[in-house]
Amino acid sequence: MNPEDAAARLHENERKVLLTLEGRGAATTQELSAETGLARDAVEKASAWAETKGVVSFQEEVSRSFNLTEEGLKYAEDGLPEKKLLELVASGRNEISVLKEEFPSLNIALVWVRRNSWATIEKGRLTLTEEGLAAKDGETLDDALLTSLKRTSIDNPDEDSMARLDQFVRRNLVEESETVIRWVELTKAGRDLIPAVKRVKETRIITQITPEILQNGSWKGASFQGYDVTLPVPSLHPGKRHFISSIIDYIRRFWVELGFKEMTGDYLELSFWNFDALFQPQDHPARDLADTFYLKTPYKGRLPDDEMVENVRQTHENGWTTGSTGWQYKWDPEVSARNCLRTHTTSLSVNQIAKLSPDDLPGKFFSVGRVFRNETIDWNHLAEFYQTDGIVIGEGVTFRNMQGYLKAYLEGLGLKRFRFRPGFFPYTEMSMEAEVWIEERGEWMELFGAGMFRPEVVKPLLGVDVPVLAWGPGFDRLIMQSYGVDSIRQLYGNDLGLLRKARLWME
Amino acid sequence: MPVIEVNLEDLRELLGKKVTNEELRERLPMMGTSWEGETEEGFNLEVFPNRPDLLSIEGLARAYATFTGLEKGLRRYDVEEAGYRVTVEKKVEGVRPWFVTAVVKNVEFDDPLIRSIIQMQEKLHVTHGRRRRKVAIGLHNLEPVEFPVTYTTKPPEFKFRPLGERFEKNITQILTEMHTGREYAWTVEGFEEYPMILDGKGMVLSMPPIINGEYTRIDEATRNLFIDVTGTDLKTITEVLNIIVTTFADRGATVYAVDNHYPDGSVLKTPDLRPKTMTLDIDYVNSTLGMEYTPDEAAGLLARMGHDAKVGETLTVEYPCYRTDIMHPMDLVEDVAIAYGYDNFVPEIPEIATEAGEDPLEVFSRGLRNFLVGFGFQEVVTFMMTSPERLFHRMTLPWEPIAETSNPKMEGYTCLRNRLIPGLMEVLASNKHHSYPQNIYEVDDVVLLDPSTETGARSERRLAVALCHARANFSEVKAVLNSILENLAVEAEVEEGGLDCFIEGRRFVAKVGGEPLCWAGEVKPEALEAWEMEMPVAALEMNVEKLLELTSS
Repeated sequence: MNPEDAAARLHENERKVLLTLEGRGAATTQELSAETGLARDAVEKASAWAETKGVVSFQEEVSRSFNLTEEGLKYAEDGLPEKKLLELVASGRNEISVLKEEFPSLNIALVWVRRNSWATIEKGRLTLTEEGLAAKDGETLDDALLTSLKRTSIDNPDEDSMARLDQFVRRNLVEESETVIRWVELTKAGRDLIPAVKRVKETRIITQITPEILQNGSWKGASFQGYDVTLPVPSLHPGKRHFISSIIDYIRRFWVELGFKEMTGDYLELSFWNFDALFQPQDHPARDLADTFYLKTPYKGRLPDDEMVENVRQTHENGWTTGSTGWQYKWDPEVSARNCLRTHTTSLSVNQIAKLSPDDLPGKFFSVGRVFRNETIDWNHLAEFYQTDGIVIGEGVTFRNMQGYLKAYLEGLGLKRFRFRPGFFPYTEMSMEAEVWIEERGEWMELFGAGMFRPEVVKPLLGVDVPVLAWGPGFDRLIMQSYGVDSIRQLYGNDLGLLRKARLWME
Repeated sequence: MPVIEVNLEDLRELLGKKVTNEELRERLPMMGTSWEGETEEGFNLEVFPNRPDLLSIEGLARAYATFTGLEKGLRRYDVEEAGYRVTVEKKVEGVRPWFVTAVVKNVEFDDPLIRSIIQMQEKLHVTHGRRRRKVAIGLHNLEPVEFPVTYTTKPPEFKFRPLGERFEKNITQILTEMHTGREYAWTVEGFEEYPMILDGKGMVLSMPPIINGEYTRIDEATRNLFIDVTGTDLKTITEVLNIIVTTFADRGATVYAVDNHYPDGSVLKTPDLRPKTMTLDIDYVNSTLGMEYTPDEAAGLLARMGHDAKVGETLTVEYPCYRTDIMHPMDLVEDVAIAYGYDNFVPEIPEIATEAGEDPLEVFSRGLRNFLVGFGFQEVVTFMMTSPERLFHRMTLPWEPIAETSNPKMEGYTCLRNRLIPGLMEVLASNKHHSYPQNIYEVDDVVLLDPSTETGARSERRLAVALCHARANFSEVKAVLNSILENLAVEAEVEEGGLDCFIEGRRFVAKVGGEPLCWAGEVKPEALEAWEMEMPVAALEMNVEKLLELTSS
């Protein structure tokens, strides 16, 4: 860079500092402040910038400074207690019992009188020593130090004074503080730049373009203050979508692109839809209070009033016409009418099947929504989370097709190494688990379950037995991995710091 | 789901093969179990609830042997006759009606078998047994037992010497003083008399499902066993009995039948270890799986799962007595798929033309979410579950009827929100350490009671905005509403009033056709104080479903 450009890129304050330093050695920022008329921190900022450009060197020196405390100031004015004691003893009041009454600082005074060997004590009386007598009449080193401190602070003391000052610090008469002195000095490059800086000074500099400058044309002939473009500026916090909500949009789009239609439904659900229609026997452990939220209000609902409920009952009890043996127990409509918070969005899938007639087939449906589990909340468990369910219903759909859709889903989420293995759900047969390989842990992690709805699920709802592929992935864990969040609570914590910094979901 | 501990040495001995953890770790999950990690002695394995026969190491070894081809097809079990007889009295009908039994002899009761049996018994009690209420298993030393054994009931003052006790106790004492008694007392709650198994001399074998008698205690020297299973469901207890008996048989024990005489005169001979039969159509297998197996191939795959299949016009499949999960031919199709290997299928998306589409409310909601981002607002996603404390008390709002759960585990999550604003307040209250302005919004559902629906409640889509910074005020929040309405070409009438969480005179309801669409205002300092907030908040909440309706009309 030529000197003219380099000089032009300096801030006005930097130029002031440089010109003030011309022809002299190092100056403190305090001195520069006085001479340039700039505030000290403005000088320091300008000097720091100038240093990054190599035109000045900028050094710090820390100095120790000692000042009297309030107590110290009192002694500096009235004299130290041990000196007072010497005077009292010399005036004849040498009995400790008497002194105790008259002299409140006796204890402190005694400590120092004895430590300095200024007096001896015998039978409760003090007798001054020779040193004591000398001290009484003359100015001791302590006195001198106090007097000097009363005048001004002591900076960077020598070793002798240091020992004494230490004692004062311990007696809480003096306190130590550190002051930083910053020295600025032109470098060779800085000295070389001075002529160019002087030339710049003569042209007008614009820092901020304003409407006024543009209107009155004063920018003409002026030059622009150059900036150090590498200096940091604070970030803005733009309005943003929550990443979970963005990912849900993505999942929705994914299913739509594969030809799926959305199904929606309520969070509050009859146990009938959440469990019975899914061929879960009424004493199944998953229906326990421990896992499922049941409702106090509204306690129970109304079972759909038709043949379908009867079909479900018979299927539970004896298999109805599904070709199954059923669970062989007495099915209770009251248990089925009990309201619960849906534990899976699979309740929407069976609801959808119930709405279809065989003429509507084939069909592909998906849902995304919250589900609820009666969990004790910790870093790994929440009472509610998101799930996306999908079903494909129609003659001729197969187990291999199910693997096909789920392979596409997993690849859509950017997963490379995954596998399918047998699983178990009371309402599917084949039941399948999709697992993803976690390289850092060197093991497979279960992602979600899938399967083909049992004939005992489909036939009572639809009237005929048609294959149905079904899956119900949660995706919290994938989001956690993708966003490097290690607690599921954090995922739903709405910490604005996290949300403001969170990477945009761009798919 | 139950997790069992497997001792690798035991498993190797049963298989007659030096399998390694590495091999098992790879193969067992493909057989339909979950690998839960290595242990010092072997590994932990999760067994699915439909396969209780895998809860013992013997059962696991049996399944693994056929799955990996060490053995083939159905393992058959013989049952000897020796005239053992038990009587079930009518009195048990109202309390614990079902009772099945078996005798096994020549049991080598060594450590591995004892470990395996105890583990299986525990797991069966918890899962299938529903903590012993539905099924309880009793194992007894056969030697002192004099037949016929009687299953009956006894009153609370009836005394016997429970297992592990030095003296007799009566039933009430057992249920209130003994640890096991207290733990399982709930299974017999409300009974006037209690189930009791006695032998021909009147000695007590067991008080199911609570505790056995000391009389038939088992130790390492025991060689012959009497086994009872009691419960509320005959199908389940029979299956459980078969699972236990076959486990002993796999260790070389001889099984003897018992005639269980029921009060109606019927005689139930148990255990019945004969395989069961189901027919399976090869086309059904192929159309379900999307494969083209020949009947012989399918039969070969079924043999890998421990079945025998005869090939004719259809497949006639004999499946083992302990496979309690086989209820429908579809269950056999699954076994074919497992034997073939889930990882060996070629995934394929079919060509099925269907009409695709999102729910209109979701499309509309996404439009609103993206629009609100343009204001510079941050979207938040809060929980639907909350507490009356947050919904009403902290908002200084009066209580209203809401959907509440009956059995929450956590104090803070007892009901469903009927409004979004409290959730936004909670977000603001927990972000006081971050810089302002904090302008946030949420578009999601609330749940409202509605007697006209199937459940008595329905969800409603809402939009809420909270503006929080030093100068947040009424005008700003009203301007936000204006912009939303203008951009959707909706006109609403604004009138003073609305929610009590807003300052009087600085709040409004926006109505269309007399029905409320939006509530807004400056949040009362009392509410801010309740949330421990020291920054003003202006907020609005609107009914998105209504807005959609107005926009589309």
